[in-house]
Amino acid sequence: MYPPKFGYVIPENIHEAMEFLESHDDSRPLAGGHSLIPMLKLRIIRPSYLVELKTLKDLQGIKKGSEYRIGALTTHYEISKSGIPLLSQTASVIADPQVRNMGTIGGSISNADPLSDYPAPLIATNAKVVVISKRGERSVPFDQFQKDMFTTDLSQGELVKEVVVPAMDGYRTDYEKLERKAGDYAIVGVAVAIKEEEGVVKDVRIGLTAVNNKAMRAKSSEEILMNNALSDDLISKAASAAVEYANPSSDIRGSAEYKKKMVKVMTERALKKVRK
Amino acid sequence: MKVVNANEKVSIKLRINGKDYEDVVEPRKLLVHALRDLGFTGVHVGCDSSNCGACTVIMNGKSVKSCTLLAVEANGADILTIEGLEKDGKLHPIQEGFWEKHGLQCGYCTPGMIMEAYFLLKENPHPTEEEIREGISGNLCRCTGYQNIVEAIKYASEKMNSKTD
Ligand SMILES: Cc1cc2nc3c(=O)[nH]c(=O)nc-3n(C[C@H](O)[C@H](O)[C@H](O)COP(=O)(O)OP(=O)(O)OC[C@H]3O[C@@H](n4cnc5c(N)ncnc54)[C@H](O)[C@@H]3O)c2cc1C
Ligand code: FES
Ligand code: FES
Repeated sequence: MYPPKFGYVIPENIHEAMEFLESHDDSRPLAGGHSLIPMLKLRIIRPSYLVELKTLKDLQGIKKGSEYRIGALTTHYEISKSGIPLLSQTASVIADPQVRNMGTIGGSISNADPLSDYPAPLIATNAKVVVISKRGERSVPFDQFQKDMFTTDLSQGELVKEVVVPAMDGYRTDYEKLERKAGDYAIVGVAVAIKEEEGVVKDVRIGLTAVNNKAMRAKSSEEILMNNALSDDLISKAASAAVEYANPSSDIRGSAEYKKKMVKVMTERALKKVRK
Repeated sequence: MKVVNANEKVSIKLRINGKDYEDVVEPRKLLVHALRDLGFTGVHVGCDSSNCGACTVIMNGKSVKSCTLLAVEANGADILTIEGLEKDGKLHPIQEGFWEKHGLQCGYCTPGMIMEAYFLLKENPHPTEEEIREGISGNLCRCTGYQNIVEAIKYASEKMNSKTD
């Protein structure tokens, strides 16, 4: 319940924040705090300083052009209200209303909890992460950004600036989350984006979360569906093929075997929902 | 840039229920403890894992779990707690709803539950039963079985709408 002692930094601008973070090895940026503060309260981490991000303008706001540029500090609540295909639906089922009012997309992907929701749509849409540091900006495909559970491509002094998601025009999308109760992390999460022309699948993306160390595309399911009509039979075949991409662990949310079976069920549900 | 070291304290300002307060806190002090120490003991602590919502207050118009915020992080914020809901001794329609519909027993979850209902009805003045249940899914109650809480929020919704319509 009681965090250990730490120092606290309120930077005037992003340059000060990056400078301080880089020169203080075990300092941590503080965004929504809804992963960081729970960890502090359990004393799982002992940072020297927290660096407050909330006032930094460079990390705020959503810009829409041919793609959505989502500032790292955008909250789950704001994303849920902003009509971004797939991502808004996903944000609306993260945790509970209070957590969504504080938690941010930058914090969620930097934390890289394998059970978190955003990775499923981010991998399915080929999202990119813009990383900023004293040396400038670089853009990293989401798949490379997520290295392993709780491990990202970020080094000390780097911040997530924004997440770039394609507009997905002409796609139908769905996120299916299996949970024990409203407000819980996913047992299994499946994101689907599909584009059909004259009843034939022209593009399909299937992203799985919570069943691996990091989110995965179910490539062979996608191949089964490509250039075909979405019949019940084909959907069932594609959903079965998704199971080979799941390597879940048994825990309080269910056995590995059960979770694998649920990958099939949730993929099937998502595909039936996006079918015209 | 302001740097507060681990053994130092920092002074903060909070506007709580329309009045200004100043406090001097360690960076690690949680907002829930700061609020309770300032006398707002209607804000409760029911867990150490951010699940129960007994600590819910409204900060800058949004419901938050005050056990998962640092007091220093809330510097400058406008906060509404259960103590600020009644006006001149007259209950807010949500408070009245919980009384009329028996939406509380031990009363420990009630302040947080009412503040979340306040946020829910501000966002969505005509919620369905399902939307009410989803809206309070971050607030646990071990006494009521939730049924009468849903009724209480429906009551408040009807009363608040009939006033403003
Ligand atoms: C009760 C509860 C239930 C939850 N349920 C879910 C759920 O169902 N699904 C889900 O996906 N999540 C869930 N979460 C997690 C929640 O979404 C968090 O808000 C989120 O994971 C972290 O975002 P944050 O903004 O709060 O980050 P913080 O907690 O502030 O930071 C998390 C980590 O990221 C780092 N960081 C933050 N911002 C940046 C940045 N811009 N650049 C670099 N590093 C950064 C921090 O230093 C820290 O290491 C839940 C949390 C709680 C408390
Ligand atoms: S005390 Fe339980 S969520 Fe805050
Ligand atoms: S009334 Fe007792 S916990 Fe809700």
